[in-house]
Amino acid sequence: MAGSARAPYVSFMRRYPAYDPPEYADWTPEPREAERWEETLDEHPRRRAVAGELDRAELLRLHDALVQNRLLDIALARWVRRGILSKAWLGTGEEAVTVGSVAALDPSRDHLCPMIRNAGGCPMMGMPLEDLFRGYLATADGPNGGRDLHVGDAAHHVLQPISHMGTNVPVMAGVALGLRRAGEGGVALTFIGDGATKSGEAHEGLHVAAALQLPVLFVLQDNGVALGTRGDQHGVGSLQRWGELYGIPTTHADGNHLLDMHAATVLAVARLREGKGPALIHARTFRMGGHATHDVSEARRTFPAELFRTWGQKDPVGRFEEFLKREGVSTGELEELEEAVTARVETAAETALLSRDRRPDPVQALYDGVSEGGVLVGLERRPVHVV
Amino acid sequence: MTEDAATPPTPEHASRTSRGEPSTFLEAIAEALFEEMIRDEAVLLLGEDIGEYGGAFKVTRGFLDRFGPDRVVDTPIAEAGFTGLAAGAAHVGLRPVVEMQFMDFISPAYDVITNYIATSRYRGAGAQPLVIRGPVGGGGRAGPFHSQNVEMAFFHTPGLNIVYPSTARDAKGLLKAAIRSDEPVIFEEHKGLYRAPFLREVLPVDDLVIPLGKARTAREGEDVTVVTYGMMVHRCLAAARSLEEEGVSVEVVDLRTLLPLDDDHIMESVRKTGRLLIVHEDTRTGGIAGEIAIRVNEQAFEWLDAPIARVTAPDAPVPYAPDLEDAFLPDEAEIARAVRYLAKY
Repeated sequence: MAGSARAPYVSFMRRYPAYDPPEYADWTPEPREAERWEETLDEHPRRRAVAGELDRAELLRLHDALVQNRLLDIALARWVRRGILSKAWLGTGEEAVTVGSVAALDPSRDHLCPMIRNAGGCPMMGMPLEDLFRGYLATADGPNGGRDLHVGDAAHHVLQPISHMGTNVPVMAGVALGLRRAGEGGVALTFIGDGATKSGEAHEGLHVAAALQLPVLFVLQDNGVALGTRGDQHGVGSLQRWGELYGIPTTHADGNHLLDMHAATVLAVARLREGKGPALIHARTFRMGGHATHDVSEARRTFPAELFRTWGQKDPVGRFEEFLKREGVSTGELEELEEAVTARVETAAETALLSRDRRPDPVQALYDGVSEGGVLVGLERRPVHVV
Repeated sequence: MTEDAATPPTPEHASRTSRGEPSTFLEAIAEALFEEMIRDEAVLLLGEDIGEYGGAFKVTRGFLDRFGPDRVVDTPIAEAGFTGLAAGAAHVGLRPVVEMQFMDFISPAYDVITNYIATSRYRGAGAQPLVIRGPVGGGGRAGPFHSQNVEMAFFHTPGLNIVYPSTARDAKGLLKAAIRSDEPVIFEEHKGLYRAPFLREVLPVDDLVIPLGKARTAREGEDVTVVTYGMMVHRCLAAARSLEEEGVSVEVVDLRTLLPLDDDHIMESVRKTGRLLIVHEDTRTGGIAGEIAIRVNEQAFEWLDAPIARVTAPDAPVPYAPDLEDAFLPDEAEIARAVRYLAKY
């Protein structure tokens, strides 16, 4: 991207030391990376089979989405640095959870509710990248005209979350109820952070989904931290069996291993389409940044540096790129793909910036859409004699 | 087997009108639900014990046989969970009607209703065409957790509609309108009215839809306006009848819909009488009387000949003991006393 400091381009994705976690800046694979990658797949023969069926074009599409997710976050971080935004909530280090799972959906009939950290999944459903940027900019032509920083797009089956993280769980179970009625085999997917597993609504959502055997997939995105609280501070008992407590079949996936994550989701979705009720995938990963861009340094003090080193070595982008190289994808092809994605993200960001001055009109934007029995209540209803 | 033979019969309590029989308030509710489910396949019911058991008050008795478990959904005791479920279903073309077994139990769903459902359209996530209905109100010796009125917990939330009928006719017509509305509606049914014999009436055979947001004049009068709703409509009417013998002419306005408030109807009556009493069964502080009073202050102050007064329940949980509950609920004598005060002011 123009104007950014770049690390020397080696044989893997270019790095952005000004925005990447330091562990990513000079990323190289672990000595046993190739063996570990394969060992993970070996744990689940059916996942290995699913992964093995992906052709080269499909693998490159996955990589495209993965790189796009990373660059989307970097573009947002850059906007924060430049003062265009006050903060942004990023998925750095957790991209494989988002991309691996969303890639298993059929956007024409499935529905997605991302957390704000899963924004990388939105364009995979067909949502314009520009709209993600416009949503952050709160422009009049953004997805909801600047009324909320969470964005979705009904036309592309993306339902935006609300900040009460547990609330989205029963809502997506309800979407699944409707999809089952529609009878087209559609499924609903939502993410649940490990923090949100503590909320009552998440529990109730799991329970109603199980009780009604709804086609909804819960991806428990366990990044080990809830805003500024480590999982071990409140973690009583293991999340490993959380879904099973409600009778929901639960599997585990390496959230930094794109193929493991993807294959696990493909299998779960297939099961959902057969009408066998909900499923839960527990994906272990790690948040390499802050809760948002404003508290990165605090977040890095929350955990031992060693943990950042360990998880930094598991960079989902670097790992997948290493895999692709082992599969015979040339560095030239990777470079070409990355250039294309970089241009795409950059163009989207530039396009969105053109709308930056299109501020929402208060009369229109504040009240349009809040209906009182079909009667819109606007500023004009303020009595003139009250000052 | 023909389709007719395969279709279970319409439950008796949900088809009185078609037989020319009078309906109670509860039967009017059942008819509205049944007719809307016949009319529109997108309508589905969700709630605790509403299927096999027919609901705690038997509103949906026989519905499961007729519509099946996909449309009459027995839910676990998880109000946040099944209200969230309704919200999700409303996003993808369904029109859920949620039954709170008692409206007191709506509180666990407060987050879903206020943060999710009420904001959905505004956030660009789409309309939420759903109804949350259930029994409210005291007088049943049911104690603090089966007797509450919940309107004011939601009145402050933009994006919601709140409906609270007082007659069988209004219950049916307003519920049908609520189900057809694209807005989320909280629909309160006073359980003391459910089987009240004096409310039985023969309802119109044609499609009875009463628009939301419109109050009605339950009794015309000249001297004092009493604005009220729900069970209190009937206590105010009783008070008005006794006051007539004393020469005081009372107009009773039944709000029917609390959100949005029908300002025009209230103002028209206040401008006629110049005196306003607001009566609600709900507790006093933060009750709807406060909002109505300020609106009259804003829109009809010049017409007032007396201060605005209110009769309400005191600021306490609904008590269990009969003596306590009777003292807690506004009664006819208390209402009449307030009207006399205003009439003489």
